[in-house]
Amino acid sequence: MTRGLKRDQIGITEELIQTFGETVFELSHNRQVRRGDPVRELNWEEIEKQRPGTGMSDIEIARRLGLTHDQTTYIRTIMERRKFDRTKYHRLYDLGGGRRFRAERYVPHPERFSFRPEAVALRKALDFDPRISSKHLRLGHWNADTVTGWLQKWAKDTPDAIAIRTAEGSETSYSDLDSASLRLANALLELGIRRGDVVAIQLPNTPDFMVVYFAVTRIGAVLSTLHMPYRGGEMEPLLRHASARAVVCAPATDSYDAPATMRELCGRVDTLEHVIVTGAEAPDGTLALQALVDGGTSTVIANPPVASDPAILCFTSGTSAAPKAVVHAYHTLLGNNRIAAKLYGMTSDDVVLGGPPFTHAFGICVLNFTLMAGATALLMPAFSPPSLMDLIETGRPSVLFVAPAHIAACQKAGLLDRHDLSSVRIATISGSACPPEVAHALENALPNGSVGQMWGMTECFMGLHTPFDGPAAIRCESLGSTTPSFEARMVSPEGAILPDGEEAELEIRGCSVIAGYFNNDEANRTAFTGDGWFRTGDLARRDGDGTIRITGRVKDVINRGGIKINPTDIEAVIDSHPAVLMSAIAPVPDGILGEKACVYIELQGDSSITLEEICRWLETQSVAKMKWPEKLVVVDRMPLTPTRKIIKGALCPLPES
Amino acid sequence: MAASPPIDPQEAKNAILEYCLRKGALVAGVADISIVERIAPEGHRPSDIWPRAKSIISVGVGGQTQGAWSVPAKAMGYFGSTETRAYSVAYGCSFYIENKFGKRAIYCPPDMDTEAGPRVPFQSLKLHAEVAGIGARSLAGDILLHPEFGYMYFASVFTELDLPPDAPMAENPCPTPSCVDLFRKSGQTPCMKFCPVQCLSGDIDENGKQAEMRYDMASCAEMTQQFESVPGVIADAIRAESDEEREDLLFDAENKILWYKLSVGSGGLLAQCFECMRVCPIATQANQADPIHRFEHRAAGDDA
Repeated sequence: MTRGLKRDQIGITEELIQTFGETVFELSHNRQVRRGDPVRELNWEEIEKQRPGTGMSDIEIARRLGLTHDQTTYIRTIMERRKFDRTKYHRLYDLGGGRRFRAERYVPHPERFSFRPEAVALRKALDFDPRISSKHLRLGHWNADTVTGWLQKWAKDTPDAIAIRTAEGSETSYSDLDSASLRLANALLELGIRRGDVVAIQLPNTPDFMVVYFAVTRIGAVLSTLHMPYRGGEMEPLLRHASARAVVCAPATDSYDAPATMRELCGRVDTLEHVIVTGAEAPDGTLALQALVDGGTSTVIANPPVASDPAILCFTSGTSAAPKAVVHAYHTLLGNNRIAAKLYGMTSDDVVLGGPPFTHAFGICVLNFTLMAGATALLMPAFSPPSLMDLIETGRPSVLFVAPAHIAACQKAGLLDRHDLSSVRIATISGSACPPEVAHALENALPNGSVGQMWGMTECFMGLHTPFDGPAAIRCESLGSTTPSFEARMVSPEGAILPDGEEAELEIRGCSVIAGYFNNDEANRTAFTGDGWFRTGDLARRDGDGTIRITGRVKDVINRGGIKINPTDIEAVIDSHPAVLMSAIAPVPDGILGEKACVYIELQGDSSITLEEICRWLETQSVAKMKWPEKLVVVDRMPLTPTRKIIKGALCPLPES
Repeated sequence: MAASPPIDPQEAKNAILEYCLRKGALVAGVADISIVERIAPEGHRPSDIWPRAKSIISVGVGGQTQGAWSVPAKAMGYFGSTETRAYSVAYGCSFYIENKFGKRAIYCPPDMDTEAGPRVPFQSLKLHAEVAGIGARSLAGDILLHPEFGYMYFASVFTELDLPPDAPMAENPCPTPSCVDLFRKSGQTPCMKFCPVQCLSGDIDENGKQAEMRYDMASCAEMTQQFESVPGVIADAIRAESDEEREDLLFDAENKILWYKLSVGSGGLLAQCFECMRVCPIATQANQADPIHRFEHRAAGDDA
């Protein structure tokens, strides 16, 4: 207020402002209209005539409207304040340096950077304890790497290098992969997919999966993977939990109409708007992936993601009763690959074959490893023992990632010794506990390669590794030691940290351990300690030399009248029986002992087996009688996770036998 | 006291304008103060500041370098500081007049009228320059343009020396033929088309001359006048619903720039009111402190 005068001292009321505001504003310098060039021409008549248009002083306006000078100045300045939009000058940030304003193209910054509430909520899953995140940043475990950054690097440095090779022999270069993903990224933006939105995908390991992965991450959206065996009932809660905006799936087959299932889910999941189907044509109500790729522009993405943004959303593999949503930022997603890289020594000359599906964290991890090295991904859309062995023989991968069940199945089928595996220089087994004889069998089948084991989980990726240059006994019979930057400890149910040699729950922390599950407080309280340690649920023991062995799952331990039985070792012995394809031991209630052990067996071919035969087999293998199972159930097909881990929870309810 | 030598108005004008050019002005001229008095609105006439003024010297200095025109706008915003060069020339010129001719002069305050708020200048430097014939109003919100020197920053000196005035420009360089062509095709000149807040519009007559210039200065101010943002940010911070929101409003980088500009630009708050010096006998009355005294000393020395 001029000279400190208050409104009532100069006779200002809101009504006065409302009455005179617009007129004062228009007569002032704020709106100027000049006709001709009267001042330069000293055309006095026009100068006087145009005074109201060219901007009058406060004194002149006051005199014209019958206000005091003070009132006029007050009204003018308050109107200037009320009309002022202080966000307009943000437009400066898009001007100069060759850029000019185009009214028809301008998108206000708040709209450009807007996140949906669901996207903001998703970021909550990345709320690390600042002490943990600052440590990883300081030590360089986390940096600015993004998936797009890696892809663009290879597209620029080695544009013609082969990024993808399929089992049929078709190849895609890094340049073409980059180009296709950019076009799809722009098409997704056109569809209204924004940064932070979740795009779900249910595809096998195909080039389409990779194009979608690179396109979604390119615009800062988040890829959520759905396992191939899942159907509507399993997917609905996951899509809802993720607030997915779009889903990408395969065309209909005789056994599964994925597009129809997804369309139906659109009606049940509020956020789900788009169903994208691979191929050039798509059923009504869906979009063809190839058409989106072909129709997308190559416009540079204006607001790409950064390393601290969420990149993928995976659900844990399902051995727990309810899957948990794991959100990885690029920091945790790629930091793990970068740190483990020196163990693998991968280069752009490598050809990488991954058995695990891309819909699983292990598969994504392998995909990123391949990308990081600028190597070639050799794709196996679906596993069968012959398809894996044939692909190794024809595709000649140098690096192999497999689950124990992959190799066990090939071994049982007698295929390991009948194929040329000479191209493989390193083979990593992971996904579940691996019986030593399975690892040794693969080691023996590789004339030029060595086997290593890796332990990881969706929540942390690769946490333990054996060194590829270590003794076979270490590589085939243990999980080695922690991946650089990781720490491990064994913790008793009472919370005591146990010394080497003691079996207890494995807790781990490191640069790729997530901050917590998305929107699952209960699971977070159970699984995370709050200071960076993740309770894995795996039982483990560390030997005096630092070697760690996974000995089972905490929840699998059977309490037989107070005696704890860890079934993992017993299952491995039973698995080695010639009549057994795979086995699992789980507890059954007992009125006296509380729990007893029941063994579930999937038989090899037309074999048969009895409980007595199993016990005799265990006796010959020196397994203590107290650990023998007391019930037997023969199943037609063992329920498996996508990484071929047995889902023990699905073995219930227990029939009498 | 030594008698002042007679002053030839034309020679004095030539000397003064030559001084301005030598000190960095691209152009300089003398505005007819009677015309300015008649056109300027009440409260903003030269006589409202200094009734003794008999002449107005207007100087123009170069604006942006060629390099500057190509940099991002947020950086180019800072190159307006070449106006300080114009101020420096005018400031020197006022000393020069007192020192050389023994007549009072003032560097016309280039800032805003403290009573009227930050959109109202004490004096229209633009009007001075236009009447002095060193610029003509353009379709771009009346920004003055010169056919040779283009876009300039201006400063003025008032003096009690009576100098022969110059005339306004005979021709207005705006719009150029290419601007007229674009206007004929699209209804907009380049300045209208690319204005980020679309605050410019107007018309060009059949002879390719300005028929009408429309300028929404309030919109233009939204791009440049962050002093309006300062109270807005503070008011929003007071009304913020959470401490986080309040902290964002007050401390995010963009708003902290506002506080920075306030702190470095608030001359009146940094012991620069000069009242201590105004009353200091040494500061204002020491033998060589007063340029007119310096002139008298020199004149006396010459006589001797």
